[in-house]
Amino acid sequence: MSDAAPTTASSGRRRWPKRATLLVQYLLLQPFIIVLCLVVLRIPPPEPSPRYLVTDFSLRENGVEQSVTLPHFTASRYTMNDPPLYNGRFTRPGSEPQGAWSVMLPRFTNGVEVAVNGVVILDSRRNPAANRPDRNTPEIAVIPASLLRDGANDLSIRLFVWGPITGFLDRISVGPDEMLRPSYNARTLLFVTLPVVFSAWQAILAVILGIMWAMRRHEPAYGVLAAAMAIGVTQAFFQTPLQDSAYSRLNSMLISAAPLESAFVLTFALLFFGWKWPRYGWVIFVPGLVVAAATMVGDATLSRKAFLLVGAPAVGLCLIALAVVAGHSVWRRQDAASVMLGCALTIVLTCWALDLLSVFQLVPNRRILLARLSYSAMLVAIGAALTWRFARALNQVDGFAANMVTLVREAEEKLKASFVREEERARAAALARERTRLMRDLHDGLGGQLVSIVALSERGNAGAGIGDAARAALKDLRLVIDSMDDIGGDLMLALGSWRERVTAQLRPHDIALVWRAVGPQGLPVHPELRPWHVIQIVRLLDEAVTNAVKHAGARRITVSIETSSDAQGVDEGIARGRITIEDDGKGFEPGPNGEAAAGQHAARGLRNMRSRAARCGAELELTSDAGGTRVRLTLPRRFPDSDAAAG
Amino acid sequence: MSVLSDQGAAQPISILLVEDDAPTLWRLQDALAKAGFHVTSAATLAEARASLAQSGPKVLLTDLQLPDGHGNELIRETRQRYPDTEIMVISILGDEESVISAITVGATGYLLKDAFPTDIAATVRELVAGHSPISASIARFIVRRTQSTAEPPPGPPLNTAKLTPREIDILWGIAKGFSYAEIAGHLGLSRQTVPGHIKNIYRKLEVHTRGEAVFEALQQGLIRL
Repeated sequence: MSDAAPTTASSGRRRWPKRATLLVQYLLLQPFIIVLCLVVLRIPPPEPSPRYLVTDFSLRENGVEQSVTLPHFTASRYTMNDPPLYNGRFTRPGSEPQGAWSVMLPRFTNGVEVAVNGVVILDSRRNPAANRPDRNTPEIAVIPASLLRDGANDLSIRLFVWGPITGFLDRISVGPDEMLRPSYNARTLLFVTLPVVFSAWQAILAVILGIMWAMRRHEPAYGVLAAAMAIGVTQAFFQTPLQDSAYSRLNSMLISAAPLESAFVLTFALLFFGWKWPRYGWVIFVPGLVVAAATMVGDATLSRKAFLLVGAPAVGLCLIALAVVAGHSVWRRQDAASVMLGCALTIVLTCWALDLLSVFQLVPNRRILLARLSYSAMLVAIGAALTWRFARALNQVDGFAANMVTLVREAEEKLKASFVREEERARAAALARERTRLMRDLHDGLGGQLVSIVALSERGNAGAGIGDAARAALKDLRLVIDSMDDIGGDLMLALGSWRERVTAQLRPHDIALVWRAVGPQGLPVHPELRPWHVIQIVRLLDEAVTNAVKHAGARRITVSIETSSDAQGVDEGIARGRITIEDDGKGFEPGPNGEAAAGQHAARGLRNMRSRAARCGAELELTSDAGGTRVRLTLPRRFPDSDAAAG
Repeated sequence: MSVLSDQGAAQPISILLVEDDAPTLWRLQDALAKAGFHVTSAATLAEARASLAQSGPKVLLTDLQLPDGHGNELIRETRQRYPDTEIMVISILGDEESVISAITVGATGYLLKDAFPTDIAATVRELVAGHSPISASIARFIVRRTQSTAEPPPGPPLNTAKLTPREIDILWGIAKGFSYAEIAGHLGLSRQTVPGHIKNIYRKLEVHTRGEAVFEALQQGLIRL
């Protein structure tokens, strides 16, 4: 920890100059972009040949006549009655080819009614697109051939102005239709079709981003941007002719769209760049709501005033805030997205400033408003970039998934290999353990018996003895093989085989075997029972039977198998199995240590029995008197895991 | 005794004894001949087949490891050609590996090589009377095969699908060392019917033909076509 702190600080210090350099570069880039914008915007929009320009008019406004030269600004008005009337004339030389002639108005605010020789040929108020001051809609009208006279013709234009912005009429061209049409088309493409295309694009992105947000609720940035785009699209497409009063209120409502939209975009930027939502963040929506409220309560004039006074500055403030957010993001994240957004905002801000200057006639201009267009272009760029980012994220997820599949497969193979190794090792260990046990068991029983067979055969005269020894060896071999079998902890299954062997053993001696198993179950099941337990118990029982046969001279042997649930089991509820072997032989006198005095062989047998019982955790109880011997083996509640006593 | 000698005099039971180890063969032959059986012996598969062709014996006693083949071949052939012949396998240890495989080809009993002479004769007589011998370890092996486990336990393949719950209960009793009388008591049977059940069990474990073997393997899902 003490090491980490200085390292972080020094690396931070090292990163500082790099960050600062980047920020300075970014800030220096912005004026360059502004200058570039100004240069580009100075390129005049397409205009017909100056030959067909008509610029000299006499203007009658408020009963006052004056001669004016187009382009001309008039004062702002709030009524449709008695609009400013521009009267002029144009000449149609007789030498001109007899084609159709048109009047083209490249730019005007807000509406025009054009009459040639006293007959109205165009009223722009019926064209909803032309009614929007934020679109630089041109108009063109073909002069009917019957109206057109060779030589001088009258041209009068009524300019309808609805405040608060001032009226404007750009230079008018009158001439052959084929000469005017190309520049009209070019302007329509730029100022009418292009915004519609952008709006359509915004509509598509609004749907895509809306779906993204619906599927990823934890990323509200997408949803906010979708809302911004939806508002922009509504504003672009819901437009009605001015005279249509049914929707005029809706029309004016749409005026509030721009401040709301910019507030949404600001919200998006804050969320996108990971800002903490400010406590009074909702304030940015207030201007848009104020404008909307003004349209609800007041008339069209009030709403337009509200827009110009509240809405337009709000849009500007939002744009400035956006630029600050982008700049901060450049400083903090140093990524391409922030730089791009910042540069785009500079362009939009420049256009917005120029528009304001032109609306308030602070600079000489032809009133071409570009803020809306540039803003739409920026939104479309943001949306496209987001979609691109999303697709890239999907690709990364795909790559990640493929990577994971490979990793999982590798891990699986490793695991499998190690599992096989481990299994191999475990099997080898088990085999070795089993072999050790088998060796010991064979040594204990079969080995000794085979040695006796050898000894007997060397004596040469003891056929019966050899037979007995060999039989005992076979018996023991069967016991060893039997004990290898998995009996599932049920000692009764081992005793079943033992009973058969004892029966066969007793038959030639003419000793009766009485088998008393209490209940069909007999003994409790011990899941922890292992083959070596079984072999010890069976050998112990064998020893008891052999003693009865060889030394006690018994005529009857009784084997009782029962499960005791007596007072001994108070501490634990588990019942204990008990096997009792009784004979009716002559018995023996147990010595002070419980050892028999009757011969060394029997003594060793008893010692063996005790040792075997101890190894299995069983209790051995020996009683003997003149009436017979009783060996009682009480099985443990739980057999011990390890053969500790075996050494 | 008189009944036995009468029976022996009227129609001595013919036994074909197939065993390649000479001392063992003498021992078994002596024990059976003394008990009044008519014993023919063979030391190889070929000899046994020749002897079988001459006369179908009442009882076939055969070792498994023979110089010119396996005793199971002889058991299968005998079972097909002389369905009335009782077949017993001679085993050193009475282990399930040898006994069960012999039972699936048609044997209905087994004899331990070191059994006492009186036991040898008694076992054969019991078999002729329809009482098949069974040991606790054989019974244990069979009932463990009736318990469904994910992995078949080691040992020869065995189809226990035909065994009834009662027969399985009897096998459990034998595996745990209960006598026939005790088993009959526990299960509410007559003591005399238990040995007959054992023979039925052996018969049900027999795989008769190759076609049947395939069918049963299909039934048990051991193979898939």
